[in-house]
Amino acid sequence: MRRLRAWFSRLGGVFDKERSERELSAEMESHLAMHVEDNIRAGMSPQQARREAIMKLGGVERTKESYRERRGLPLVESFSQDIRHGFRMLRKSPGFTAVAILTLALGIGANSAIFSIVQGVLLAPLPYSQPDRLVLIREYNRTLKHPVWVSHPDFLDWQRGSRSFQQMAGQGGSDDYNLTSPGTPERLEGRTISSGFFSTLGVNLALGHEFSPQEDKHGGAPVIIISDRLWRERFHGSADALGKSVALDEVDYTIVGVAPAGFWFGDNADFYIPVGQGNPLLLEDRTIPRIVCIARLKPEVTIAQAQSELDAVQENLDRLYPAADRGLATHVAQLKQEIVGDTGGMLLLLLGAVGIVLLIACANVANLLLARSAARTREFAIRSALGASRARIVRQLLTESVLLSLAGGGLGLLAARWSLSVALAAAPGELLRRSANISVNVSVLFFAFCASVAVGILFGLAPALKSSKADLQTSLKAGGRGFTSSHHRAQSSLVIVQMALTLVLLAGAGLLFRTIHHLWEVNPGFDPHNVITFKVGLSPSLAKTPSSKQLAYKQLIERIRQIPGVQAADLTVLVPLSQEVNSGPFLVGTQESASIPEAPRALFYWTGPDYLRVMGIRLLRGRYLTTDDTTNSPPVAVIDSALARTYFPGKDPIGQILTIPHWRPVQIVGVVGHVQHWDLGNLENPESTTVGANRFIQNQIYASLYQLSDEWIANFYDGITVTVRTPLDNAAVLPAIEAVVYGTGGDQPVYSVRTMQQLVSESMSSQRFPMTLLGAFAGLALLLASVGIYGVISFSVAQRVNEIGIRMALGAEKRNIFRMVVGHGLRLALAGLAIGAAAALILARLLSSFSHLLYGVGASDPLTFATVSLGLTAVAVLACYLPARRATNVDPMAALRYE
Amino acid sequence: MGEKADVWQGTLALMVLKTLQAMGPLHGYGIARRIEQTSGDLLAVNYGTLYPALLKLEQEGYISSEWGFSDNNRKAKYYKLTRAGRKQLNKEERDWEQTTAILARFLAPGEERS
Repeated sequence: MRRLRAWFSRLGGVFDKERSERELSAEMESHLAMHVEDNIRAGMSPQQARREAIMKLGGVERTKESYRERRGLPLVESFSQDIRHGFRMLRKSPGFTAVAILTLALGIGANSAIFSIVQGVLLAPLPYSQPDRLVLIREYNRTLKHPVWVSHPDFLDWQRGSRSFQQMAGQGGSDDYNLTSPGTPERLEGRTISSGFFSTLGVNLALGHEFSPQEDKHGGAPVIIISDRLWRERFHGSADALGKSVALDEVDYTIVGVAPAGFWFGDNADFYIPVGQGNPLLLEDRTIPRIVCIARLKPEVTIAQAQSELDAVQENLDRLYPAADRGLATHVAQLKQEIVGDTGGMLLLLLGAVGIVLLIACANVANLLLARSAARTREFAIRSALGASRARIVRQLLTESVLLSLAGGGLGLLAARWSLSVALAAAPGELLRRSANISVNVSVLFFAFCASVAVGILFGLAPALKSSKADLQTSLKAGGRGFTSSHHRAQSSLVIVQMALTLVLLAGAGLLFRTIHHLWEVNPGFDPHNVITFKVGLSPSLAKTPSSKQLAYKQLIERIRQIPGVQAADLTVLVPLSQEVNSGPFLVGTQESASIPEAPRALFYWTGPDYLRVMGIRLLRGRYLTTDDTTNSPPVAVIDSALARTYFPGKDPIGQILTIPHWRPVQIVGVVGHVQHWDLGNLENPESTTVGANRFIQNQIYASLYQLSDEWIANFYDGITVTVRTPLDNAAVLPAIEAVVYGTGGDQPVYSVRTMQQLVSESMSSQRFPMTLLGAFAGLALLLASVGIYGVISFSVAQRVNEIGIRMALGAEKRNIFRMVVGHGLRLALAGLAIGAAAALILARLLSSFSHLLYGVGASDPLTFATVSLGLTAVAVLACYLPARRATNVDPMAALRYE
Repeated sequence: MGEKADVWQGTLALMVLKTLQAMGPLHGYGIARRIEQTSGDLLAVNYGTLYPALLKLEQEGYISSEWGFSDNNRKAKYYKLTRAGRKQLNKEERDWEQTTAILARFLAPGEERS
């Protein structure tokens, strides 16, 4: 009670300060007056009496100070006082303040940007209800030791046979269609989904209902769920849209639902149609994996339990359908883990790297503060003489440094917002899957705030403790130039730490740079120069039947070949490095396999006869495909050198037979060089179980599109790619190509235009992204560290002007002085290099083990380490050069007179 | 000051209250002189430390203050005990006696076992 009362009264004291200050002065005055009177009465002289009274009181100001501390709430009061004083101090030295804030803004800004990526990708939950209960289920191929998608019949059997899940649903392939009505024609991206897809994710439709099991069947009524964007653009966001129809490739679909705004599953589709209504050739075959299967676990069921139940279901399928399901197991994993993929390690690595930048920035500001505190020793001495306790001074200094770092943090957040968009532009696909989540949001603000306060205390504490300890007497006498050797030691160790950390970042960036350099030198197996690829949305009127579709494309290619400057052009279903897949099983010889999952798999390039020439893929033996290979001639195939080496070792593969399930036995007529289909360095982790799935397939088979039977034409011509070789500039040829495409049929959009050079460059994005960022961080670190060493050396020169003057007066030559100063800096740099090299070796190990980022360089690549060490030393020497020059220009007479 | 401050502050408060009980309303200088005389100069009072202690007692409501005039017709701030202050003084006196009695028993000779 009493405490509370006292507290309130003190709270009052915070406000009514002026009056009580006057009263305090009056009280002190009357106290002294009475004491002086008594003393005079006791026989002292007036001066003596006053002096004795003041001494007895213990000093007027001191008494007032301790009285004041009791009066208000000292913490609140001195805090607001500290803040005001802090602002005053910072305003008084704008140069120092600007440099410190900018330094911190760089550090905190970079950290906030990376943190927002980590937060958006790793920490933020998926945008579904109870996302941790969602799993992704795939089949695991025991022969290939790799998970694969599941076939539609197996998926339906899983749905029927399992009890562990509240609900199970699937997404089939993607389908692109031309939307022709309502409104202007447009190429749209669609996804096929099963019934219950949205409710499994726990997402409510904005309007209408999702597909019923009856609709999700072959022969069901054509129904469609459209995206929010389509709904707004084509139907003005009106509820009347339900029941209306949209025409896709000249088929009318009835709208039954509208997906909520911002709905996302893997990518942003324009519309959804039932998977069960798709091509029965693909859907009803148990050997064709089509479905991305998701499910919601029942509340008490663990992933392991679900896994073992599904395994039992799958074993049963194995017995029933040995040809299709032998050797398959199931693979249940958390959905989030599958979506985030391998990027986790890389992101944490970057977060670590950017943390190092912040440490270096802190070291710089700490150095600045140390130098400044030397100039302020006198101020602190006076303050403590006036009764300020040491804690009070430390608090004051910490308030100043936290003020600095908060200002830096605020500026840094602005920088983060800007740099985030720059960084994301270079981000690899795995990251972009969740890029919608990445923004400077509340948790990033919180992160930046905490980082700022922590950083403020971190870099403020050492200088604050150092300067508050200063000895009163000597500092007052030294007149503000008292810089102790412990200050020097602190500054030197900060510089050493900076150098070490910078070397670590430089080495990391250097290794990644060498990796990219090596990747550019990898022979991709084709000639990426002067090749354009694009897709054409064929006019539905030209594609009524499979043969008319084929004919339309054939005529299109003929016209493109006649464009001046086009050397060669042809069609292909698969383009290397495009991240698209068309894989299937094959068998050597004519025997049929008992189980398709146990057969080896290859990438199938169904192409026109000229494709291999367009891409500049080298013929090793036999012949290319020709226009004579048609449905009327014996089926033939061209294989790549990898397949030839593995399955025909020491034999001539020409004339040998391969059996392709779903097709027939084919004769090998040629062998071409292996093409890097997945990425240039085979960097993908073969142990990885994440979404990229069958990236390990290296065998490649080329066969002619004109040998496809009619039933398969529809499947392979959907989304087919045109490849064109031309030495002309992209921009020069495209208008001619577009004119040709539009000439054959009014409304055919040309889309996905890319050069092979672009694809090559994009394939390196998972290396280039960390390299760019690490490079930027290393550059930043180098800049900060060189400023740091420059500052410390020039400060020590300024402190030693006297000594240098004496040395010169005693006959030291300029050369010696120069060497002395540079040597000082060099010693610091070399100590940092030694520590940094050790740390960098550890980091490089991490880099190579983490996410398979390195290619063609060892983790301890001596060339990289030597280069960055030399570079850093050179920068350090350069940074010492200016202060050293200044030292040699010291005029001994002036220096001595100055003292 | 330092570690001893708490003990010093506690006993100082008790001495201030006791002084005000014995002398009636009194100004800061008077309280300081009185404490110095009574303690037989054993406590070399730094008069300045008295004022924060007075402020604390006032904030807690044990004493109140008002401006008045001294014998020499000098303006001074007079402190006097409140009712709560009298009660607190009785309580603290009892506590103090108890503490000293216990300590006396501890410090009495002859009771140590060897």
